[in-house]
Amino acid sequence: MKAGVTRLRAEPVSLVAAGAVTPFGADVDAFWSGLVTGSDGISTIERFAVDDLRVGRGGEIKKLRALPGARRVRCRASLLLLAAAEDLLARSALTAEPERIAVVLGTALGGVEQLERAMAPGGRARHALDALYDSPAHALARRLGARGPVMTVGAACAAGATAIGTGADLLRADVVDVVIAGGYDALCRFVMRGFDALRSLTRERVRPFDKRRSGLLLGEAAGLVMLARERDTHGPRLGRLLGHASASDGSHVAAPDAYGRGLELAIRSALDEAGLTPADVEFVSAHGTGTLVNDRIEADVLRRVLAGRVSEVPVNSIKGSVGHTMGAAAVLEAVMCLMAGREGVVPHTVGLEEPDPVCELDHVIGSPRTAQPRISLSTSLGFGGCNAALVLEAVDR
Amino acid sequence: MTAVEAVAVLTGWGEGIQALPEDAARAAAGRAIIPLGRPALEGERFRRATRECLLGVAAVDALLREHHLSREVVKGSSTALMYVTGSAYGASNYAWVAADATIPAGQGDRRLGAVAGTLHFPYTAPSVMSGEVAIEFGLTGPYGILIGGAAATIDALWQATLLLEAGRCERALVLAVETFEDCAELYARGRWLVGRPLVEAAVCALLVPGGLRTRYDAPRAASPLETRARTRAGQTLACEPLIALALGRADDPTGAIGVTGEWRGRRAGLYWH
Repeated sequence: MKAGVTRLRAEPVSLVAAGAVTPFGADVDAFWSGLVTGSDGISTIERFAVDDLRVGRGGEIKKLRALPGARRVRCRASLLLLAAAEDLLARSALTAEPERIAVVLGTALGGVEQLERAMAPGGRARHALDALYDSPAHALARRLGARGPVMTVGAACAAGATAIGTGADLLRADVVDVVIAGGYDALCRFVMRGFDALRSLTRERVRPFDKRRSGLLLGEAAGLVMLARERDTHGPRLGRLLGHASASDGSHVAAPDAYGRGLELAIRSALDEAGLTPADVEFVSAHGTGTLVNDRIEADVLRRVLAGRVSEVPVNSIKGSVGHTMGAAAVLEAVMCLMAGREGVVPHTVGLEEPDPVCELDHVIGSPRTAQPRISLSTSLGFGGCNAALVLEAVDR
Repeated sequence: MTAVEAVAVLTGWGEGIQALPEDAARAAAGRAIIPLGRPALEGERFRRATRECLLGVAAVDALLREHHLSREVVKGSSTALMYVTGSAYGASNYAWVAADATIPAGQGDRRLGAVAGTLHFPYTAPSVMSGEVAIEFGLTGPYGILIGGAAATIDALWQATLLLEAGRCERALVLAVETFEDCAELYARGRWLVGRPLVEAAVCALLVPGGLRTRYDAPRAASPLETRARTRAGQTLACEPLIALALGRADDPTGAIGVTGEWRGRRAGLYWH
């Protein structure tokens, strides 16, 4: 953004309710309870062959409930989404006209596991159609009966944040009345082999911001939020999205900018859209993957942004608990931010025991912290130099 | 208020809309795919980049060249990049899966060929295609990456106008790339999925603040420009609305223009008026 340009504060958007399926279980309650109890959602992957890989562990969902009417859905990514939608709709009914409901989802992988099937002996063209990255979003839209815009954001591991932001834009522009926004990704051999080849996966545990951190582990999940305009929200709600922004690094296809310039710009732009300053931030949900480079750069950026308040603002990462859930990560983190504000407790960073001095921040270590953050910042980074930030506001119970 | 400042079109038919035949189906003469070659771009960095990445770079380069814009104009955080594709990630994904399938059991990842190795995997992500464009032109502003066919491009154009109107950028590049040849076997099996001929394309539009209001909606019928772009270019998925914009601007460079696009049963429209 051009220096000196001050934009009007964007209209806040309500997050009416959330739904999720994670390695902790089939709903948001299981997710939240897993976080605050410090549970470990990482296990040996059992659903596909990993015996030839250096690392065969991740946040695998062991049991996916059979959904009525979904017997013909073959794609696991779509099944994760449908399961998250089941949880969401149990919390809040979808009452808008079908043409006024949009579906906006972020993903790093789409239905790519179906490509493995399509290319296997006896593979069918239908599998190839399911493999398109936007197929799961259309499967969810069909399930919901949504006939408004159906969008798939392909911004890798930052996609969930951008999907929520794009959903908010659709509401602010009065294109639709309700948006089901979120993100998802399923673990499959395609991505496990990829990160294994990159040597990004740790053989130990995920330790975000820790001195001994040695890499990430992947996880699978789907997270959805129901968004509506603030003025149209009359019942209970989870919280509000105040601002969102994205910025490209323009420096490397697979590593963050060495100075975190894109991330910093995304954070400052999101705060600007929210009409807030860094002084208003009460909690940061960091991307915190547990890799050497990401955590150091992210900590640098957060110290620059938070400046004198760096020792007062709690920071956590949930990737030690459920793994890096890629397209779902930012959505789960946004839900966690709002739950923290509502429940008065900030989950600790599982795996973090001895913070790396180069990652110095006010980390939540060892056990959850009693705090009631109203304004939260959530950060995300992804392949291709993608950076995104969300500014969220929790509401009381 | 925004305007379409420029559009550059690369297709399997050649460069520019003047290269498009009057009737793509007839010109294809039974060929299922009209390919677009790998651009010959200089630089060590491009040695590893996939063809679809290079096509994106080539489309932006063509836009700057054809409209006499320097790279300095777009460099920095004042330029937004919206990238759309329905199929271009297919080539790298297909290669990654194929490489895995041919690896002898028990060889771990020592069986690496050119496409099975460390360096190839990031290129399976659609965001890396726009990432390469951002690196090449120094774009550090807001971005959007949408996956889908023509309707997704309408969504991307709309998002670009939002960013401009909100003052979040001073200009926006809307880039679409589609490739088919590397997955020809899959398209041959799924002939019912998309029309013929499949024409590879890379198209980039430059949007700037201007004098026209925009309307974003969901029309039932194709606009005349949508039909014309399909007839002349063939099936170009996400590139189609940008080709339509180029055709419309050739008729009237500054006037009102409306483009529509359909994908998976949903049609979206954007109108500058």
